Amino acid sequence: MQQAKDLPANPPQTRRPTFSASNLYGYLFVLPILLWLGATILYPLVSAVMLSFQDVGIIGTGGEFVGLENYADVLTSDRFWEAGGRSLVWVFGNAIVQTLLAFITALALKQVFPGQKIARTWIILSWIVPTVVVVVIWRWLLNASGGIINYALVGLGFIESEIGFFSSGNSAVTSVILINSWRWFPFLAVIILAGLQSISDDLYDAAAVDGASTVQQFWHITLPGLQPVLFVLGLVGTLLSFNVFDIIWLLTGGGPSSATTTLPVYIYETAFRKHSLSEAAAMSVVVSLFLLAFAVVFIRYAAPRLEED
Amino acid sequence: MQRSIAGNVVLATCLMFLFVIVILPFYWIFSSSIKIPQEIISLTPTLVPQSFTWQHYGKLLNSSDFLLYLWNSLQVALGTMVITVVLSASAAYGLYRLKLPGRNLVFQIILITYAFPGILLLIPLYGMMSRMGLIDTIPALIIINVTFAAPFAVWMMRAFFSTIPVEIEDAAALDGANRLQILLRILFPLAAPGVASIAIFAFIMSWTEYMFASVLIISDERRTLPVGLAGIIGQYQVDWGLLLAGSALTAFPVIILFALVGRNFVRGLTAGAMK
Repeated sequence: MQQAKDLPANPPQTRRPTFSASNLYGYLFVLPILLWLGATILYPLVSAVMLSFQDVGIIGTGGEFVGLENYADVLTSDRFWEAGGRSLVWVFGNAIVQTLLAFITALALKQVFPGQKIARTWIILSWIVPTVVVVVIWRWLLNASGGIINYALVGLGFIESEIGFFSSGNSAVTSVILINSWRWFPFLAVIILAGLQSISDDLYDAAAVDGASTVQQFWHITLPGLQPVLFVLGLVGTLLSFNVFDIIWLLTGGGPSSATTTLPVYIYETAFRKHSLSEAAAMSVVVSLFLLAFAVVFIRYAAPRLEED
Repeated sequence: MQRSIAGNVVLATCLMFLFVIVILPFYWIFSSSIKIPQEIISLTPTLVPQSFTWQHYGKLLNSSDFLLYLWNSLQVALGTMVITVVLSASAAYGLYRLKLPGRNLVFQIILITYAFPGILLLIPLYGMMSRMGLIDTIPALIIINVTFAAPFAVWMMRAFFSTIPVEIEDAAALDGANRLQILLRILFPLAAPGVASIAIFAFIMSWTEYMFASVLIISDERRTLPVGLAGIIGQYQVDWGLLLAGSALTAFPVIILFALVGRNFVRGLTAGAMK
């Protein structure tokens, strides 16, 4: 296609770069970022694998080769699997809340109303401010003494006296999921909105003529039209959501009594609080393999089947 | 477009709900930060401040290390921004202008690296930085932030490049301009909104980063804003006035940047994720 055009018809007499020379030139532009990512992702991954076969405690200290001992410890540790279970709850909880909020937001912002342009830009405000600010905002709103949410809930008669949202396990998990969703749903919403805008209005008009209800239109036009976007969000969103560390750590520190200790929090604690670096490295490797398996399965079964270019 | 009255009511309710949950918390933080301490800790919250004071801001700037943290964060963010823009813009150019074979593979690798869990790299990167003698330095944070900002920036940039017709380049080539001249004099000015978007993206990513900064920085005078603020949160008796003022000032730079280029930024975010 494009490439045939670049091939010189005769032995190179023109000044146009040949196909391969042009490619070489192009790769030079891509090379720096690949080297950068190789040095800061690939190389560390290899060294994490090597670290996981040793018994290093604190970084900088030496370690003996211990074979698969760390892996045996990790895979037989209840705490590791419990953290894994919490990560599953975390990922699903966030996915449900964020998808719901993002769809409502995207559908609302797709409508025409005064101030629509401003709304479509500023909706993302909670996503651009630093996590630590998000944490301060919600600690302040949910504060047990004088926090406005407690005040409102008591005033409206939902609860009798102020509650500590982070002091019991279930309410801490729920609160952190809702706060993280608050941070991320606008990001999903603007992407879903862009997906909605890429669906032709003609389809809706035709469906309306045929007497399809709004709900039918949503199921038969909107959702299929959004499939490529939803695929990317399902893959990247799940991984990004799994990754979340700072918001949990700064809100609850993983507590109360480990109720919010998801895998990232557990790995962080193991490496930098318990000072068992090698064990934490082994966990990282195990978790990487699980995530890789998820990504492969997801791409295999959920990838949109249209484009082959 | 005509909507029924019921439709209007539903839409207005949704928009009102969004306004309350997205914007109001920010108002609440700022309005609380200018109240006197007694009003801040009062058990009856006041929606409109009954008192007015800059005392928390004064305390923050005069008798805390806030300005130092701010300066550190600025250095990290600007360094991250410059390197990310150079790496990502040239990669996007290479990938999406020159139509390389294998670009889909590179594109997928980039997608995966964007979603790569930072926690899994934290331990080995700590080791790597320690071998390179970069623990407790600003460059260590810049290097890591670029790693996490650059992949998505390539995606965003590609979308902007793809809106520029190829004919413009061909015309310049006919006039005798070389590839570098075309890139610097013609494409970059046209892709300026894209460059601005990825610059802001890199800045925001760097400004918010907490995990690596909390582990790689050891001495107090090199802390970034998120780690510094987290230090105040962690204190037994929280000084809310100070914390709220600190949060408002920490959010301020990104909000200003966003006000300048927000539309393009959101366009870049969505365009990058669309194709």
